[in-house]
Amino acid sequence: MKSYRVKRHYRWHLGYMMWLLHRFSGLVLAAYLILHLWVLSHLTKGEAEFNRIMDAFNNPAFRLMEIGLLGIFLYHGVNGLRVFFMDYGPMAKNETYVKYLVGTFFLIVLVFLAGGLAMLKTILAE
Amino acid sequence: MALRIISFRSGTFNWLFQRISGLALAAILGLHFVVIHLISNGTYDYQTIMERMASPAWKALDICFLVLALYHGMTGATIVIDDYVHRAGWRNLLYVLNWLLALFLLMYGTMIVLSLKAPVAAG
Repeated sequence: MKSYRVKRHYRWHLGYMMWLLHRFSGLVLAAYLILHLWVLSHLTKGEAEFNRIMDAFNNPAFRLMEIGLLGIFLYHGVNGLRVFFMDYGPMAKNETYVKYLVGTFFLIVLVFLAGGLAMLKTILAE
Repeated sequence: MALRIISFRSGTFNWLFQRISGLALAAILGLHFVVIHLISNGTYDYQTIMERMASPAWKALDICFLVLALYHGMTGATIVIDDYVHRAGWRNLLYVLNWLLALFLLMYGTMIVLSLKAPVAAG
């Protein structure tokens, strides 16, 4: 296969940063899928084994990481929808592009805060 | 029909299906989240999970979910490999590993989903 150097870096622009974050979050989610399948494979080993593995993950460190996971899912999902709809609406136009970028970013932060705070409240209540 | 206007050469199918699978994943993930974290109230109770997973509809949905997620993740990883790995040997090695990992996870996940049976009534 022919291979050659391509431009790896673009100007540090909000769109570029979100694009980088999109692929990074995608790789994290793929890694999480492996962990998720491994944990759920304990379902086939009976109730005791399943509860043992779930207890092992039921500590504040993992619960906090779960909030981070929510953030990564939200980011990848909502930003992915923006990328999808960019082709079918006014989002790609020069004068609106940054507005939609910032809007998407704040939507993600808002939903993340709502979900994350609810999860944090559950952790603190225990 | 979207499928008629694309060429199947040079990854156009992957481009289109990456978007379709992405949309589907967003929808199924939303459902997954609502059912597991809101309706079941975040309890990862063995009985509750096994009762849900005993239903063929949930099995079918979860297998679709798995296939779409693996396709989406694998295609995404391919794009990352394409962008950052330029030596043909390394690239081909990573392609092969990517495929093997996806196929392994497909079998692993499908076998887990299919093997779950309704639990014997708690005694």
